Amino acid sequence: MPNTSLTEPRVTDRKTIRVDMIARVEGEGALDLHIQDGKVVQANLSIFEPPRLFEALLRGRDYTEAPDITARICGICPIAYQMGAVHAMEDALGLKVDGPLRALRRLAYCGEWIESHALHLVMLHAPDFLGYPDAIQMARDHAHMLNAGLALKKAGNEIMRVLGGREIHPVNVRVGGFYRVPTRADLQPLAAMLGPARERAIELLRWTSTFPFPDFERDYELVALRHPDEYPFNEGRIVSTRGIDLRVADYQTMFEERHAAHSTALQSVIKGRGSYLVGPLARYGVNFDRLPDYIRSLAKDAGLGPVCRNPFKSILVRAVELVYACDEALRLISNYEVPDSPAIAGTPRAAVGYGCTEAPRGICYHRYEIDADGTILTARIVPPTSQNQLSVEEDLREVATRNIDLPESELRARCEQTIRNYDPCISCSTHFLRLTIHRE
Amino acid sequence: MTIPPNRCPLIVIGVGNPDRGDDGIGPLVAARLKTLPGVRVVTRNSDAFAIIEECCGAEAAVLIDAAAVISNPGRIHRIDLAADELPCELGLASTHAFGLAEAIALARALNRLPRRVIVYAVEGVCFDPGAVMTAEVAAAAEEVVSLIAAEVLLPGLRPEKPPQARRPGAVGQ
Repeated sequence: MPNTSLTEPRVTDRKTIRVDMIARVEGEGALDLHIQDGKVVQANLSIFEPPRLFEALLRGRDYTEAPDITARICGICPIAYQMGAVHAMEDALGLKVDGPLRALRRLAYCGEWIESHALHLVMLHAPDFLGYPDAIQMARDHAHMLNAGLALKKAGNEIMRVLGGREIHPVNVRVGGFYRVPTRADLQPLAAMLGPARERAIELLRWTSTFPFPDFERDYELVALRHPDEYPFNEGRIVSTRGIDLRVADYQTMFEERHAAHSTALQSVIKGRGSYLVGPLARYGVNFDRLPDYIRSLAKDAGLGPVCRNPFKSILVRAVELVYACDEALRLISNYEVPDSPAIAGTPRAAVGYGCTEAPRGICYHRYEIDADGTILTARIVPPTSQNQLSVEEDLREVATRNIDLPESELRARCEQTIRNYDPCISCSTHFLRLTIHRE
Repeated sequence: MTIPPNRCPLIVIGVGNPDRGDDGIGPLVAARLKTLPGVRVVTRNSDAFAIIEECCGAEAAVLIDAAAVISNPGRIHRIDLAADELPCELGLASTHAFGLAEAIALARALNRLPRRVIVYAVEGVCFDPGAVMTAEVAAAAEEVVSLIAAEVLLPGLRPEKPPQARRPGAVGQ
């Protein structure tokens, strides 16, 4: 028997796993995972999609154009960008939009959350937990749940179409309100869809609560909007689980973007602290007490406490938020009264305006400087996926470290699932995500 | 601002983005077929779910989409899904997560695919944002309009009458 343990030179454990494309994410990027001697030494989420320079496109345009330009940033969450822009412009103009117009904005937000969360939950994320390569393969065994998700997505899209004029890149949102507002009768078919959709959302929550979840938690600083009495969509202070409590206008006093050589998207950090988490887990953790009692009860039945720090359980929280969005939409429709005017008028002035809303993937910050005639001088937009990039990398480092002995294919799958926990919208942050694991 | 009325048994869906050169062939053909009697004609982007929903309740569907160039820009492929699969080399997947190919696969898995589905795929060469459609694909669009206009009049694509009224073997072209 050869003696190898002491006399042979030590061979460095070096391996490279390459996945050319991670499916089921929105956008193009790559992950490079470097493993050396059994330890994960680096995890870079590289976003190589060319920057689209929306902030530069906005400069020199009229403030009234911002909602339509920013809606083009994303086909999944255009409302978030439009709302961030209109709130910031209204802040600059000194306008306060309230009453039925504000309610319609919340309804539009419900539509966006429903279509986005339903798509991600059923089509993109659920196959990871049930061992299917994609939703098409999963559909053969779970057609009922796929159909539930599709029905929810359709309901969300209908809200978007009725309020936005079309499902993708809505054209009906303007600074001060809408170009046209619906009648009560216009909204009734939506209510007829949302009742059954709500029941399907509860079915999805119960279904996802049976999934096998990895025993994994991280001590994230959760950051979300917080409103005095609402689960947040488009208004509130920026609050964290470690003491941040800011006006939206003060966002940049605590948060900054920095450039990473491996990414065309800027990465956000909390100054002096580093990574943080936005999105469903953060929203839920910061605002659990803002959910109606029966939804808190549904969450508890699904195994969720008031705060969830297991990113894999984000699918559960999305399901909770699906139920909430359906309920809130039904409430808003029930209480809706047609406003006197589809929009309130404003007069431009030289000013800086700030806006922050809760996109499905987390807070989306906008800052605009306009001159006296309403021309946009500067624009700053910080999308949620940029804010979560560091947390994705830290999750990956931890997940890979804990699962380093798994066979390559399983490790790769778990890493992809870790990325999809975030429902990353890479297009927003600057399309395909490539995963490369280097073992050295 | 109302939810669309119930579906027609025969639907024509033009898939694509008219602002991206040859990708606009689906919407262009759909626009030219708008006046076909007894047919619901719609345009959709390549969102799989919207395509599935549009097909819901339809007995037959004709889908028009741009395809990757294999040999010649403007070359027309007619695929009858009752007989053939979508050829992978046509690249009928979306730039986003779910395209026409995925829509058809998902609808089939969910048993929501219409009884007959005909796909017209036209090879394109230019899909740049803001680009105009190439002459080859524009010419092909006219031919596809004629082919579909003739095809939808054939019994194979019309909703089935009582079984005795069915013409055996009539499956379009």
